[in-house]
Amino acid sequence: MSDRIAIIDGIRTPFAKAGTDLAAMKAQKLASIVIRELLDRTAIDPELVDEVIVGCVANPMDAANVGRVAALMAGLPQRSRGYTVSRNCAAGFESVTSGYEKLFCGAAEVVIAGGTESMSNIPLIYNKHMTGLLTDLMRSKSAIAKLKTLASFRPHFLKPVIGVVCGLTDPVCGLSMGQTAENIAMRYGITRDEQDEFALSSHKKAVAARDKLAEEIVAVPVGPDYKSVCEEDNGPRPEQTLKALGKLKPYFDRQSGTVTVGNACPITDGASAMLMMKESKADALGLTPLGFIKSYAYEGLDPAVMGLGPVHAISTALNKAAMELDQMSFVEINEAFAAQVIGCVKLIQCDDFAKKHLGRDQAIGQLEPARLNVNGGAIALGHPVGVTGNRLILTALRELKRRGDDHAIVSLCVGGGQGGAVILERAKL
Amino acid sequence: MNCFSLTLQGDVGILEFNTPNSSANILSRDALFELDQQLDQIAELTNIKTLLIASGKDSIFIAGADIKEIESLVDSKEASKMADVGKQIFDKLERLPQLTVAVINGACVGGGYELALACDHRVAGFADCIKIGLPEVKLGILPGFGGCIRLPKLVGIAKALSIILPGKLLDSRRALKMGLVDRLFYDPILVEQAKTFASEVLAKREVVRRPKRTPLQKLLEGNPLGRKLLFRQARKNVLKSTSGHYPAPLVAIDTIEKMVGKSHQEASQIESAALGELAVSGISKNLVQVFYLDEAYKKRTWTDVTRTPNKVKKVGVVGAGVMGGGIAQLLSKHGVVCRVKDLNQQALALALKTAKDVYAYQVKSRRMKQGQVDAKMSLISPTTTYCGFENVDVVVEAVVERMEVKKQVFQELDQVVAPDACLFTNTSSLRVTEMADSTGRPDKVCGFHFFNPVHRMPLLEIVKTEKTSDQTIATAVSFARQLGKMPIVVKDKEGFIVNRILLPYMNEAAYLLEEGIAPQRLDNIAKSFGMPMGPLELADEVGIDVGYHVARILENAYGPRMKVAATLERIHEAGFFGKKSGQGFYIHKGNQKSVNKKILNHRVHELSVENDEQITKRLIYIMINEASRCLEEGVADSAATIDVGMIYGTGFPPFRGGLLKYADKIGAKNIVADLRDFQNKFDELRFEPSPLLLTLADSSASFYERPKST
Repeated sequence: MSDRIAIIDGIRTPFAKAGTDLAAMKAQKLASIVIRELLDRTAIDPELVDEVIVGCVANPMDAANVGRVAALMAGLPQRSRGYTVSRNCAAGFESVTSGYEKLFCGAAEVVIAGGTESMSNIPLIYNKHMTGLLTDLMRSKSAIAKLKTLASFRPHFLKPVIGVVCGLTDPVCGLSMGQTAENIAMRYGITRDEQDEFALSSHKKAVAARDKLAEEIVAVPVGPDYKSVCEEDNGPRPEQTLKALGKLKPYFDRQSGTVTVGNACPITDGASAMLMMKESKADALGLTPLGFIKSYAYEGLDPAVMGLGPVHAISTALNKAAMELDQMSFVEINEAFAAQVIGCVKLIQCDDFAKKHLGRDQAIGQLEPARLNVNGGAIALGHPVGVTGNRLILTALRELKRRGDDHAIVSLCVGGGQGGAVILERAKL
Repeated sequence: MNCFSLTLQGDVGILEFNTPNSSANILSRDALFELDQQLDQIAELTNIKTLLIASGKDSIFIAGADIKEIESLVDSKEASKMADVGKQIFDKLERLPQLTVAVINGACVGGGYELALACDHRVAGFADCIKIGLPEVKLGILPGFGGCIRLPKLVGIAKALSIILPGKLLDSRRALKMGLVDRLFYDPILVEQAKTFASEVLAKREVVRRPKRTPLQKLLEGNPLGRKLLFRQARKNVLKSTSGHYPAPLVAIDTIEKMVGKSHQEASQIESAALGELAVSGISKNLVQVFYLDEAYKKRTWTDVTRTPNKVKKVGVVGAGVMGGGIAQLLSKHGVVCRVKDLNQQALALALKTAKDVYAYQVKSRRMKQGQVDAKMSLISPTTTYCGFENVDVVVEAVVERMEVKKQVFQELDQVVAPDACLFTNTSSLRVTEMADSTGRPDKVCGFHFFNPVHRMPLLEIVKTEKTSDQTIATAVSFARQLGKMPIVVKDKEGFIVNRILLPYMNEAAYLLEEGIAPQRLDNIAKSFGMPMGPLELADEVGIDVGYHVARILENAYGPRMKVAATLERIHEAGFFGKKSGQGFYIHKGNQKSVNKKILNHRVHELSVENDEQITKRLIYIMINEASRCLEEGVADSAATIDVGMIYGTGFPPFRGGLLKYADKIGAKNIVADLRDFQNKFDELRFEPSPLLLTLADSSASFYERPKST
């Protein structure tokens, strides 16, 4: 039997909506907190850690290669290595699957795979007019030339480019992520009510799962003033109602759209980290793994319907593992948008789509609501893009442990037109 | 002895200073004599155009004059003569026909830098070990080999004073900026580059431009009126920082002022005369004594030398109060990962804030960048459980000063930490043995007492119980040094040394207050003795609640002689906790403080007729008496240990040489006589002379040289 790739344990910060509890914390600081806490909880000798891989989409400007920066901040030995990965929304998966590959081929024996994102700290930048003006100003030699350059200033030069908005727009198809969700809703006739109901259930499940989620969370004293301590996810709303959701205006298509800020995930701050090694190494160190990675897959598709990525990735991951959907104790499809998750569920159960696009004889399988996103999802918890993949794996492994079940599949859609899926395993061999 | 060797390479001579059988180069009488002979020879070598003076030691250029020789000076004329001899040799160096360059590869201090000043040029490397300056005033003397003459000429009066008066040492980059050296070269090729530099200067292809005088400097230094202002300001600053207890910097100012406009000859006489006076003064002798103490205790092993201390990479801190937070900051500053545990997140956040505030000052004063601080802060990880304690090497317990709580914590720790981990307690006054006995590893338990504020106070009291192993002590001592602290090892008895000796002093102050002495007068008397703070100011600073709690512990342990003054109790009950609560003996508003009128109501008498001298004696002798008990009970192994403890732990004035050094100077007989007098006048028990003190008085022995049997 081959040596499985084990996840020993993992930890994450609370997820806080951007601009709220964790707004003052930089991405590198958040990552260093979870890495430090992971080292403490697993009591592993830091000298053994070979590689730190951190998913991050908006790498902070003051921390080039945030993975390495965070590793050193957390007190890992200088000889350990670190890098940063981005597969956009799947960056938190990518760190784990990169770690898998490193371990599998023997390039490392102990890996910390994590994710960090401070969407609060994604900067506004000068637009190209202002940048041009400043460059010209530097080149202008004489005072008169400088004055002339300054005279070319126009008020619209001050309109900033908003980093977050740019990041959430696909440059190739020109659509914002919300618009790609509208595309799916339109194509498969997903109504506003369906989406709002889905959003409500996400909140309800997340609120009900507070105690479960607390197991995977480390409290974060909020610097630099340390006046508060962020102890739990601040997204889930116990008081959320359909009526309240129904009052929201469609955000991306004011007239005929159905996607609102209420049935989409909020932009969020957070970080997470997991300790990975081969099963044999864990045995040698006397560590009990939380679980194993059975298989994983990434698949590309039309960026304009990027939200359907999970369907493709789930299909491939199941094929690789030679498993069926009904063998999964539960299924996670990351909730970027309610419309997109609902669309995925429809297609997973659709024979036609399976035949046409997945090379299958029939649909992937039946996906009952009771098996989907059992502890709530990103609509309630939030979606720090570099972190979510990590959280999905962490939450799922802990849920498998609680259930005493063997397998689960977690997946997410990726801006730019991709899907990712990972099959997790707890079974003893 | 052959300290100097001359090698010739073409027209370059390299005079290498390399003292045989010694790690340092020191300008002893013998070495100076040898240098003198070498210079005579070199002056004759007409084919040599350049002379480099270099060091054969790795990280030392010249570590200054021989302190032992300075210490032995008792006659001021003899001292002046010694300075004259050195100056004449350096003058000879200055007059050499060759171009002379000092090649500074390491410590270049005192006489060493004065030698460099006599060269035409000074070049240095970049290494961290390079420290340049004239620290003579720290030993109560002044630069006597021409430093007071040449440095002002080189860099101007104001800059010279800013170097000489505080006696501070500069790294090579700052030395270059100040004009103390002319060029910096890469360390591995320093001598080669110095050679090239010299030949370029000779060929006039390279011109050394010294930092220009600023307009303000010219205005101040270029005319008599400006200079008068400059010297007056310098005196004012010195008086402010030394309260006039240290004559050396003041004499240095006078000396440099007198030299203005004088010939080299006259200036030399002025400098030597000043040195002669200072070198034989009691204060200089005391400062030299403290210097020796410092040197010895920095290296003192305290256990069997062959023992290798355990490595400390990760530390658990229990208790996130002011001390816990301060300790965490210190640990992280030195790159030690620490896991801080307290009962709730709010306490932990406060500890992080304590640490952050210390770092904030580092950023403000540009010693660290924000990113570096963020990285250091990230080494501190808070927790409400013992999770993460499994792999700590050491735990420092800093919970509330209550024995039941401490014992409970030690029991818990004993269960969670690895079997070979050491458990240290930061208790300031409770018995460590009792805590040790609540664990299954009493050999790995010791006291590890930091002083508040942790980042500023240099002393660390390490408390060895009957059961503490030497291995644990070796680890504690080396760990203390790793954290940049000065450790002393003492035995386990309530209050150990510093608090046990200091608390009676603060208590006595409370009695004096009760008798009607005005608070400011009381504090001023202590300060004019040389204490950095008056006892009441100090109480306000550390917190009257804390002080009172410790005083109570000591009273319980030592009985009526430590009876807490009733005033202290009443003030404590009234909720005046000092600076942190806004009012204690004083009312604190920002940096302002005024006497807290409300406490005056707690006094028994309105007025006191005691004179200042008697008050000083009551405050100081009560400490001496308690220190004497510490010695006779073996809590401290020597008078030197107590003096190190009091100087580093309480700021006891170094110019007094130390508490017991001071006692020795007064004489046990005189102290006993005064204590007897106080017994009659004030309190039979409080002033009861200790048996050791009585023995010393009878045998006319001293604390430093007491018969072995006592």
